[in-house]
Amino acid sequence: MSIMTDVSPSAARRRSVPRFVWVIAAIVALYLVAGVITPSFATFDNMLVIVRAASITGIVAIGMSYVTISGNLFALSAAALGAFLAVIFALAVGHLGFAAGLAATLLVAILAGMAQGLSISVVGNPIITTLAFSTVFRGLAALFSGNSIVRIDSDIALALGTGRPLGVPTQSWAFIALALVSWALIRRARLGRLLVLSGANPQTAIASGLNVRLATVVAFVALSVGVAIMAVFTVSQFSQAKADLFAGYDFDYIAAVLVGGIALRGGQGSPLQAALGAILIALLQNFMLLNGFTAGLRMTVVGGLVLLATGAFHLLQRRLR
Amino acid sequence: MLRMTNISKRYGATEVLREVALEVRSGEVMALMGENGAGKSTLVKILAGIEPADAGTIEIAGEPVTIRSPRHSQAAGVAYVAQELSIVESLSVAENVFLGDTDAGLFRSPRSLSTKARPFLLKVGLEQVDPLELAENLSVAERQLVEIARLLSRKARIAILDEPTAALSDAEILRVKGAVRTLADNGCAVIYVTHRMAEVFELSTRVTVLRNGRSFPSIETASLTVDTLIEHMLGRKLEQMFPARATRMGESVVELDQCIGHGLLAPISLSVRRGEILALAGQVGSGANAVLRMLAGVLPVASGTMKLRGAAFAPHSIADSIAAKVAYCSDDRKRDGIFAVRSVPENLSAPALDRVSRLQMISPVMESRHTRGIAELFGIDLAYLTRLAGNLSGGNQQKVALGKWLGIEPDVLLVEEPTRGVDVGARAEIYRHLRSLAERGLTVIFASSDTQEVLGLADQIATFYHGRMVRVVSAESSTPESIVRDVIHPTLAA
Repeated sequence: MSIMTDVSPSAARRRSVPRFVWVIAAIVALYLVAGVITPSFATFDNMLVIVRAASITGIVAIGMSYVTISGNLFALSAAALGAFLAVIFALAVGHLGFAAGLAATLLVAILAGMAQGLSISVVGNPIITTLAFSTVFRGLAALFSGNSIVRIDSDIALALGTGRPLGVPTQSWAFIALALVSWALIRRARLGRLLVLSGANPQTAIASGLNVRLATVVAFVALSVGVAIMAVFTVSQFSQAKADLFAGYDFDYIAAVLVGGIALRGGQGSPLQAALGAILIALLQNFMLLNGFTAGLRMTVVGGLVLLATGAFHLLQRRLR
Repeated sequence: MLRMTNISKRYGATEVLREVALEVRSGEVMALMGENGAGKSTLVKILAGIEPADAGTIEIAGEPVTIRSPRHSQAAGVAYVAQELSIVESLSVAENVFLGDTDAGLFRSPRSLSTKARPFLLKVGLEQVDPLELAENLSVAERQLVEIARLLSRKARIAILDEPTAALSDAEILRVKGAVRTLADNGCAVIYVTHRMAEVFELSTRVTVLRNGRSFPSIETASLTVDTLIEHMLGRKLEQMFPARATRMGESVVELDQCIGHGLLAPISLSVRRGEILALAGQVGSGANAVLRMLAGVLPVASGTMKLRGAAFAPHSIADSIAAKVAYCSDDRKRDGIFAVRSVPENLSAPALDRVSRLQMISPVMESRHTRGIAELFGIDLAYLTRLAGNLSGGNQQKVALGKWLGIEPDVLLVEEPTRGVDVGARAEIYRHLRSLAERGLTVIFASSDTQEVLGLADQIATFYHGRMVRVVSAESSTPESIVRDVIHPTLAA
């Protein structure tokens, strides 16, 4: 029998609305507002456009969520790695065929993820490490492509890049599948639990006999695989690769994670939140495009949304304390 | 000086304080006692302006005051020393004494500040500390004393000290106690929140007990005994604080032969049997923790050999010792004892993920069975299982930090300060559970600077002083005096 009389004051308040509910609410609200203001918005066709736009960003954002959840903030090397892997994929498909190209790309991606993860366990700072890797990857992309466009001619690739099974783009199928698999992995797999606990408190994780270094490596391999999928889809869709692909996209991936409400401190949140964040940003971008917002204005609004979201989640957290 | 009446506070559906009254006179030390979660912290935070009260009045020196922010509280002459110290490490001691003091002026030469700080440092027994020294070079106890010097410099009329000695060893506590007396002698009304019985009896003139958010009329300390005070806090008769000692012990499980590691000045040899509870008694820095850390694989063994179950044992990491069924729980629960942002079940299964997963997937059924098993063994209320570990009281957090190790079915449990920051009720429970585990064959080695705990819980006691082991004695043949002599000044011991 317990003689504790714990009236921890915050306990009752703590069971509050989960963050992803806020994101879904924001998506629904934006959808309704946009639907009323812009008639062409809430059509089935436009929905497909949005899902496709969200898919490419979302695939990487899901990968990025592994990094954030495992307590490594985020990577600044995703876009550059994407360009490098795109060049590798295009070259390998040209020389070895589609299947071998795919395998080579995945292999390089996994190695790139391991290299980053291991370097971070030595350097200690994911931001600085991935910033350096970003330059390395961009340089390798230029080196391998000879600074020119690498074209491919593969029917399988074209089918993969432009196909629409059941009317839905292949990119979106991959996005949905990846979101569900990642959710299950983080939620239910032993490896996912290792990531979550390492992010929640690395010292306690080490003291519990867990391999925190492994968690970091796994997180970066997961991100790199997400980046590889993006690179393969993009090269397949446009039948070409070049060294400056995805330049400037890094903020979008991070924005999706932040808008989705994944805590930067790590150990909390789910890849589904990053997926929802990507959808919210895609909705907003689409709405602004339909209404003829300029590129500069769109950038400003997305940046503002990230500030607003992180600020709101921070206040929410504080109030719970 | 201070009269708080009918203070009420609720968080959502939970009523934390209900019509609480607290009255303190100038020049007296009022001990504020109660179990964790009784509302002590909330009450002092209301007075300090950190939390607003829902209802009630506060009078200071007969004048009703409104306290809505820390600034109001300071203006009314209230000074608050929180459990987490507010010493700025990169500033000098003198600058810390006058930190936030707007009267000190913007541009003061270090020298004049130092001259101004000296009398206050003298009063708290820090005369040997150079006021120009950086605060980062001070020990925890000295930082605590600098905070008290700050209270003196501000001429606070009411001082709140929230568990000022929680992280200190007995010798350091003496200095803090002296400083608190100085505060009261200067006419300050001191509110002293603590878990330590000894301090209440030595320092306070009266005691106010909070229980379940209600206050009881204050009691003259002179009319109380430890037992009656505990009864007041728990609201019922306390069963004995410490369980009975071991009746039977098995073969030797852990052996240290001439072991030296960082923090030890002389080799240590020890032997601990199955089912035995061994206390390593010593002040902070005595080397008692080093023994645990060597066994846990955290601290390399510089020379000497360790044996576990008769075989050589040389762990190089925590993972090694866990694999050998040796569990280690450090004294810093927040840093490496719990995952505050994760749920209690996730905390409890962390060291034993392979026991709750099948084919690399976590099985909710196995995890729930695992969690409930530990909860039952260690008396964790099942209602807490849905909570985040960080939202539990100190006592329950400690049960989680210790209990999670039962999942690996350890042979040896190494614990530093098993009940730091834990209230009386949970403390007795933790002692009882440790003993019942020992009866089932677990060997427990714990390091502690709490003499009462060392004497009450252990079968054997190894005393440590300045990196050396003084002696190993049976708990039955020891007295508080003999232990304290060993750990404070062994040369005086016969």
